[in-house]
Amino acid sequence: MKPVKNGARRMGRYSAFDLARHGVARNGWPRAWHNHDLRRAYDVVVVGGGVHGLATAYYLAARHGISNVAVLEKGYIGSGGSGRNTAIIRSNYLTPEGVRFYDRSLKLYESLSTELNFNVMFSQRGHLTLAHNDSSLRTMRWRAEVNKLEGIDSEVISTAQVKELVPYLDTSSEARYPVLGALYHPPGGIIRHDAVVWGYARAADSRGVHIHQNTEVLGIDVAGGAVRGVATSGGKVATPVVVNATAGWATLISDMAGVAMPITTSPLQAAVTEPVRPFLGPVIVSGSLHVYLSQTDRGELVFGSAVDPFPSYSMRGSLDFIESLAGHVLELMPSLAKMRVLRQWAGLCDMTPDYSPIMGQTPVEGFLVDVGWGTYGFKAGPVAGEAMAQLIAEGKTPELIAGFSLDRFMRGELLGEKGAAAVGH
Amino acid sequence: MRRKAQATGVDMRLGPRPGEIIDRSRGLTFTWDGDTYPAYRGDTITSALAAAGVRVMSRSFKYHRPRGVMTTSYLDPGCLVQVGDEPNVRASHRMVEPGMSARPQNAWPSLRYDVKSANGALAPFLSAGFYYKTFMRPKRLWPAYERVLRGFSPGGAVSPEAAHDYYDKRYAHPDVVVAGGGPAGMAAAVAAAAAGAAVMLVEGEPELGGHLRWGAAPELAALGDLRRAVAATGGIEVLTDSVVTGRYDGNWVAVVQRSAPGVVERLIKARAGVLVAAPGLIERPYVFSGNDIPGVMLSTGARRLINLWAVKPGERAVVLTANSSGDAAVCDLADAGVDVLKIVDARSGEDVVRAKGGRTLRAVECADGTTVECDLLVTAVGWTAPTSLLNMAGDRPVYNERAARFFPGGGHDDVLATGGIAGDGSLEQLIDHGSAVGRAAARRAHEVSATTEIPSLPVEAHPALFKARTHGFVDFSEDVSSKELEEAVAEGYDSIELAKRYTTATMGPAQGKLESVNAVAVVAAATGATIAATGTTVWRPPYSPVTLGALAGRSFEPVRYSPMQPWHEAHGAKPLVAGQWIRPDHYGDPAAEVRSVRSGVGLIDVTPLGKFDLRGPDVPKLLNQLYINKWSKLALGSVRYGVMCAEDGVVLDDGVTGRLGDDHYLMTATSSGAETVWEWIESWLQTEHPEWRVHVARVTSDFASINIAGPRARDLLSLVVDDVALGPEEFPYMRVRSGSIAGIDGSFMWRIGFTGELSYEIHVPASYGLGVWETLLERGADLGVKPFGVEAQRILRLEKGHLIVGQDTDGLTRAYGAGLDWAVKLDKEDFAGKPELGWQEGRDDFLRLVGLRPLEGTAVPAEGSQIVEAGIIVGRITSSRMSPTLGRSICMGFVAPHLAEPGSAISIVAPDGSRVPAVVTPQLAQVDPKGERLHG
Ligand SMILES: Cc1cc2nc3c(=O)[nH]c(=O)nc-3n(C[C@H](O)[C@H](O)[C@H](O)COP(=O)(O)OP(=O)(O)OC[C@H]3O[C@@H](n4cnc5c(N)ncnc54)[C@H](O)[C@@H]3O)c2cc1C
Repeated sequence: MKPVKNGARRMGRYSAFDLARHGVARNGWPRAWHNHDLRRAYDVVVVGGGVHGLATAYYLAARHGISNVAVLEKGYIGSGGSGRNTAIIRSNYLTPEGVRFYDRSLKLYESLSTELNFNVMFSQRGHLTLAHNDSSLRTMRWRAEVNKLEGIDSEVISTAQVKELVPYLDTSSEARYPVLGALYHPPGGIIRHDAVVWGYARAADSRGVHIHQNTEVLGIDVAGGAVRGVATSGGKVATPVVVNATAGWATLISDMAGVAMPITTSPLQAAVTEPVRPFLGPVIVSGSLHVYLSQTDRGELVFGSAVDPFPSYSMRGSLDFIESLAGHVLELMPSLAKMRVLRQWAGLCDMTPDYSPIMGQTPVEGFLVDVGWGTYGFKAGPVAGEAMAQLIAEGKTPELIAGFSLDRFMRGELLGEKGAAAVGH
Repeated sequence: MRRKAQATGVDMRLGPRPGEIIDRSRGLTFTWDGDTYPAYRGDTITSALAAAGVRVMSRSFKYHRPRGVMTTSYLDPGCLVQVGDEPNVRASHRMVEPGMSARPQNAWPSLRYDVKSANGALAPFLSAGFYYKTFMRPKRLWPAYERVLRGFSPGGAVSPEAAHDYYDKRYAHPDVVVAGGGPAGMAAAVAAAAAGAAVMLVEGEPELGGHLRWGAAPELAALGDLRRAVAATGGIEVLTDSVVTGRYDGNWVAVVQRSAPGVVERLIKARAGVLVAAPGLIERPYVFSGNDIPGVMLSTGARRLINLWAVKPGERAVVLTANSSGDAAVCDLADAGVDVLKIVDARSGEDVVRAKGGRTLRAVECADGTTVECDLLVTAVGWTAPTSLLNMAGDRPVYNERAARFFPGGGHDDVLATGGIAGDGSLEQLIDHGSAVGRAAARRAHEVSATTEIPSLPVEAHPALFKARTHGFVDFSEDVSSKELEEAVAEGYDSIELAKRYTTATMGPAQGKLESVNAVAVVAAATGATIAATGTTVWRPPYSPVTLGALAGRSFEPVRYSPMQPWHEAHGAKPLVAGQWIRPDHYGDPAAEVRSVRSGVGLIDVTPLGKFDLRGPDVPKLLNQLYINKWSKLALGSVRYGVMCAEDGVVLDDGVTGRLGDDHYLMTATSSGAETVWEWIESWLQTEHPEWRVHVARVTSDFASINIAGPRARDLLSLVVDDVALGPEEFPYMRVRSGSIAGIDGSFMWRIGFTGELSYEIHVPASYGLGVWETLLERGADLGVKPFGVEAQRILRLEKGHLIVGQDTDGLTRAYGAGLDWAVKLDKEDFAGKPELGWQEGRDDFLRLVGLRPLEGTAVPAEGSQIVEAGIIVGRITSSRMSPTLGRSICMGFVAPHLAEPGSAISIVAPDGSRVPAVVTPQLAQVDPKGERLHG
């Protein structure tokens, strides 16, 4: 695709110096992004203003000079999974392909604040997956060995080492599910999810990308096996390329293009407590107890679990969820009984049969997908955006995502990440 | 220790008030920040401190500004304190107890001189979202910056030693739950109960009454009447100091009872016919410069302090009033001896501009240009309707311009609203409305009528007051000002959701109840949109923060034991936690246990094995559907090994099933897979083939199961069985017999061989398990029988090359890869996984499960070790052990197809990085590959 230069604008730089300058002068900061009228045609239309859609738009403009791009978002940016997830970033997956892919994303995250000039507050305080029985210990050793061979910092550690990292954890042998060890992944951690969304949006906007909030895609115009345009709540737009980056709504958008995908949408719930003084460094995941938790920089504990056991588009929290979550958290850390849950919520997850995404081309020319992100897609935002942008610019599927193609389900080549991603995300 | 009240010489306690809830005959003391203070029973922490003249209760989150009492309710944003090991205690709600030790939370080194209050001067640099704009370079310093940011986190501390006290749960099935025990709520409860409904009336404060409690004589009289009516009406369960925290689908209502006898807290889960939301109104703070200085209070806050706890809120006051609550506050203040220096009446356009002061209020500047020196400013500028319980039922609140507040959208059959959230009116009108709603709720709960007409309450005009002409705090607990919200909008965060997320306004412990509408109003003004179009933010559960303890209740993580487990423990077994079960791992020396099985006979407790009793003429159809192999022709008395695959062809479970009668089968599943298999069976029977005549009962723990294995197994069994012929011809391999074992009728035995030895698995009614186990050991003493544990069994089966599903298979292993090709019967009409397996047939590009021998017989590469060829992963070790029988190490593992041929040399990378060369064995079985021992 030919690069089209597109009225890129100056964006106010963020720095400590400018913060001080603005603080003294109290003159306002420039807008982080702008509102535009919908153009009649774009080179690329990205559906979905989450981290995937915005990252794709950003890399198209930043790396490939393709900036006549629209991101269409039916609500506000980050209103989907990207603003509801628990923001765990890690690369200690199980398959070599998965490890390589997610590690590229982790590396991009490590330099994202400086790249976007927006502090995304990537807090690499480590990631611990607890083993409560010998079979999970065995799987962890398997993961650690694959990770190490792929150059990832990842190892199986003993109960005593776990206790040292997390003194609040009940590591006694009297615990109902004693901790037998853990998979420790020091570069893992959590990030400020909204900041990632806003940082990409601001950087894309400054390079000429149009972000249209409150603009819902209602139909996709396909003729002669190729995409011609989209119909939106704000009018029709012509385009040769549509990227479906709508996660929980992915099948609804693909249906508009007549592309069937093996995806079901299920709610995933999470909860947050009131803040307390910092006491927990790493992210803790316990697959056996179906729970994970982390402490944010603000002091809140964030909890989550596996997806709800049935497909639904409901985004309401349930009592069963929060009860069992609390029970399991207290199994791990009995001293937290007096902490209070402040909010619970749910988001939608686009689940594939093999806990791996679907990326790349489809039988409809120009209709590209970056979906199937399930419960684990936030951490993949940067690498997915980068790869999708490359695919659009170069017209050929990058090696890194070749395994994630839609036709793997036709070829029976499923990927094996269920064990590493079901609770750990 | 000093008596602070005396030390400061300040005593703000008033003489007796008619509605006071303190018990002056019961004085007590408690400590605050290390000093001792007096209090009465019925005092909250802050009412007692305010009575002693304490004004600063905390320091704010970001700027460390001094904060005091403002609402004197659960929501009081400046009154979160640490009590013992409990963080974030609501000091304006929590009653003092003798000897209680309370501490301020966010102050260092002390409340009075807080070092971080210098942040106040830095306010311009710490504006909303400042952290997104800095600390980016140099990258390597970010962890250090982050530690500083983390140091700011507000809130109390948890201690790793804190005890997990006793919490519990209760289920209830009331016809009507009334959330809120004010006048409308009480009237609703009485009317519903009188109409025959079973009612649960839930009130967050320690007593019923709502705003009547801090009212004047007529309100107190009405309160008395209503309380008497509640007490006199049968069928009302009153829960005070309790809160409805959530309304979930199906009117599943969560109630947290905070002061239940004997427990810290109790979670009541009520399946309510109808939920009546009567939470009253929450008074809204006003936004202006200095609106957080201690001494600035809401009218309800001041009135509560005076009338409930007999505490004088200040000496000289200015009152900003726009409604009757402000007017009543003026009366109460005067009555309490406070000098009301100025009344600023917002209804006639008057306004305040700013409050001035440091640790306490000094003066108020008014819009008319005057400045009044005072230590108290009381504001009454309007109300917020806490509609969150209705939101949880899908309600979207609607903004009413006339009343300047949101109202429920309405239109629910099983969630009704009454009281202040539904409208205004006189006390009689509120009570009448409550009664009408109560009657309607009773009728709807009994499904008499879903469309009962409910009269509506009048809506009174109220000036729209959110923000004065100066900027002030919108969110006190998050330290977010109206200026920051405006700046956020200007930066592009121009919808309420984005502005809220960017500034964190409404995200703190008050959950938006105080600050949400002000935030909406400020954003609306900044964007030029109306409040109605800007919308409210969605209130998510819980309605009020809930402890993890209450949600968890008592821990119900059951432990499953076989009837023989006490015996195992008494005989030195090392316990193995295997999911819900605790099993004997070994009795000291697993290798010796292996040898005794191979040379004589051993016993293992296999009770956790999943067991299903299947009955009915269509059982063969079910078996054919579940297993990949064939089942139609299983003869009476026969047993068959079967493999189950999921629909993606991946191995799900394995086990044996025996035919006990014409239409009667016993199926077994792996211990860890038993639950999954049961759900799998039910999903086929319930959703795909409801027409099949099959009954399934889970009988895992109805039978105690024992495997008797070893060359002398038959000799041992014959000592306890006399009604079944055990000879190799009469009872050959893969047969099942029923009979009596050690005198216990109704037992089953089948001949199978996971260990590779002649072996019988016996299933006896569970209550006789221990007896049979002991009998076998006793009678078999001469045969040298010994118990063996799970570890020995794992070694035995590895020697024999039998796989364990989940260990020697994984989430991608299809039947072919695990060497189970023989079992796949694609000519069957249908079975789970058939299409996928049909597709896979004939492929040869998947990993194969093979037996492996390290060249070095002492090297045991850890399970999970990778097999590598030219730097590429080509397989992994799934099982590895020293084989006591062979006296060398043996393994099982997956290898790429080109390495699967017997004799192939492979290289294993052990976790320490060392290489272990190994060779592929001819078969999976490394001991007795021909199966002579098994069939003996
Ligand atoms: C509770 C929870 C916890 C999670 N935890 C983690 C975690 O710890 N780590 C991790 O890596 N991942 C996690 N995830 C998963 C992660 O959130 C998602 O995979 C990821 O955010 C997907 O990003 P996205 O940009 O593809 O989609 P989204 O952020 O969901 O964006 C899709 C957007 O498309 C918009 N849209 C939909 N339909 C239309 C239409 N017709 N027209 C226009 N716009 C439309 C939506 O409004 C939405 O904003 C979690 C998810 C949830 C719900």
